[in-house]
Amino acid sequence: MMDTGTAELLGESLEAAFRNETAAAVEASLAEVGWREALDEEGIAVVPLLFGRQGMANAVSGALDDLLTTALGLPAGPDTAFVLPEFGSCGPPGRIHDGALTVRGLGTVRTAGAAHAVVLAAGPDGALRAVTVETGKLQARPIGGVDPRLGLTAMEGQGLTASQGTASQGTAPQGTGIAAAAWEGALASGRLALAHELSGASRTMLRLACEHAVTRVQFGSPIGAFQAVRHRLAESLVAVESTEAAAGAAIEEGGEVSALAAGMAKALAGRNARTVARHCQQVLAGVGFTDEHDFHRYFRRVLTLDGLLGDSRTLTRELGERLLRDRRLPPPPPL
Amino acid sequence: MDLPEFRAGLDAWLDEHEPELRMEAGPDVAFDQEIEHLSKVKRTTYDAGWMRRGWPERVGGLGGSTLLRAYLGEALASRDLIEPGIYSMTEVLAPTMIEFAPAGLAAEMVPRLLRGDETWCQGFSEPGSGSDLGSLACRARRDGGSWHVIGQKVWTSLAQYAHRCVLLVRTGTPESGSRGITALFVDMDSPGVTVRPIRAMHGRDEFCEVFFDDVRVPLERTLGEAGGGWAVAMDLLPYERSTSLWHRGAYLRQRLGRLLASVPDGTIDPGDLGAVAQLAFALHARSRGTQHRMERGERLGPETSVDKVLLATTEQAVFDLVADAVPAAVAVGGDAAAGRWRTEFLYSRAATVYGGSAEIQRGIIARRLLGLGAER
Repeated sequence: MMDTGTAELLGESLEAAFRNETAAAVEASLAEVGWREALDEEGIAVVPLLFGRQGMANAVSGALDDLLTTALGLPAGPDTAFVLPEFGSCGPPGRIHDGALTVRGLGTVRTAGAAHAVVLAAGPDGALRAVTVETGKLQARPIGGVDPRLGLTAMEGQGLTASQGTASQGTAPQGTGIAAAAWEGALASGRLALAHELSGASRTMLRLACEHAVTRVQFGSPIGAFQAVRHRLAESLVAVESTEAAAGAAIEEGGEVSALAAGMAKALAGRNARTVARHCQQVLAGVGFTDEHDFHRYFRRVLTLDGLLGDSRTLTRELGERLLRDRRLPPPPPL
Repeated sequence: MDLPEFRAGLDAWLDEHEPELRMEAGPDVAFDQEIEHLSKVKRTTYDAGWMRRGWPERVGGLGGSTLLRAYLGEALASRDLIEPGIYSMTEVLAPTMIEFAPAGLAAEMVPRLLRGDETWCQGFSEPGSGSDLGSLACRARRDGGSWHVIGQKVWTSLAQYAHRCVLLVRTGTPESGSRGITALFVDMDSPGVTVRPIRAMHGRDEFCEVFFDDVRVPLERTLGEAGGGWAVAMDLLPYERSTSLWHRGAYLRQRLGRLLASVPDGTIDPGDLGAVAQLAFALHARSRGTQHRMERGERLGPETSVDKVLLATTEQAVFDLVADAVPAAVAVGGDAAAGRWRTEFLYSRAATVYGGSAEIQRGIIARRLLGLGAER
């Protein structure tokens, strides 16, 4: 476990890194901070620190690529992107058939500048393999969408022979075999990271709305003196706090991430972020609807992050279906 | 004794003693029997030592972490052996006595509460002072060695069973607001005390009106300073949102689990169920953090209003799910299980009202946690 002093220092360095304008500069600063080494040494404890701040700053980086690549036991680095499942889905983005790889997934902001991309692919028997391919062999189409600054790309590739993968040179022509449990673990880490990023973005939306509420004067008072406004903002804080409590409880005593809890945290984070956005935008009123004010950047971000690695609605329904199958609630973390 | 040891010991003890601590629930079980049963559970667990853990030795406890108290209530609620609304009043009243009562009085009285020998109530709200507690008007006049109390309280839970009352009275001028309030520890059998139960919507005489007609209370029964009653009340309220709330969260999980285990296929919408399970998980996680902060000796404050809003939201969501899943049981069901769902569903409507309404909690969050200044 990281001690408080180390965590604080790391947090400050990360905050500074996220003040950079471009993704490339953020990536360079993160490398300087040594985030990948911190992840190796300290484990999952660095994930809330990094992703919470990334969300708060509306910054973009390849940190999620690093996290997922590392979680699958592969070497991570600035030159290695990770192809995410398609928007709204959490299935493997690759399929292996007759020794050839087909890819349909989402590239992150790192993809354009990285030489390699890790593709998780399912074989005909459902067995999973992580294949590292040259990014140049994939077609990458920038997705404008609601949040162009996030830099997502639609990644496609057909008929790739899996042996094009760099990890496959030599003895393993099909890349690295990945146990289903390992992918579930990686998904859990990714969802935890996204839950923190969503909550970070929510915190900033709330801060912007509170700043507005204490400075904007109408009827002779700051609008934050009116109960209708106060209660929306209070409700927003409850939403953020509940996301953070759930995300905090998803990390178990030994530093393992509970897959079930991480799914709940991600679902809560997505839903709560929308609640926060609705209340804060109403409080920000006209100014919150302008391009000039920062609010919309965060709103765009949470709409998009909700769809990565399983959206709130799907995760919630799947949880309900599972509980109805089991006919019992899973035991919560002990006191 | 640390928590793992306590947990293992208590779980084993409860496995053995659960049958004798169980009670029938349902519309035919009178509230009197529930109170009787609660006393039995408290006495049995006190005599076996469990109830004494986590309380200081000077009030009959055996010392140890407050987490032990949190776990005891959790274990009892999870096994459906208590209703936390009435069980957890101890968690609010005993700490108040320990902190503010003269040492001898606390040492004499608190063990009676813990052991279930006595029931206590909390006289705060009045007909004209609900959310605006600082405006209370029930008056106490000092005369020689005693206070003389004249006035009325309302929504006083369990007053009809209570032996004692932690009572807030006005000892300053009518305009003195929160500065002119004093807390007293009153014997409910004092001459001049009249209790009238109020039949509530869910079929229980949960609350009462209490009238004080020149009731004499010795000065030694003052809790804290004369004129310092507001501090007593403010100190007590966060407790209501810590251990008690943890117990209630365990109870809600137990009821949700019961629903899940008992409903026919196809009656619960998976999306609704998933959302309620997530809420319950977030509440658990949040309240767990609060238990640990309390255990470390941190002072609990306005941040516990977040816990209370989450609890109220979760409680109503759980029973809204019940009403959607088993609507016939709630509306027209005649058996004991249906009667219980109906009672609980109706009672859940009060979750955003009791213990500081949802509006008051949001006001605290806005002023104290978000820095929005005073409300207009």
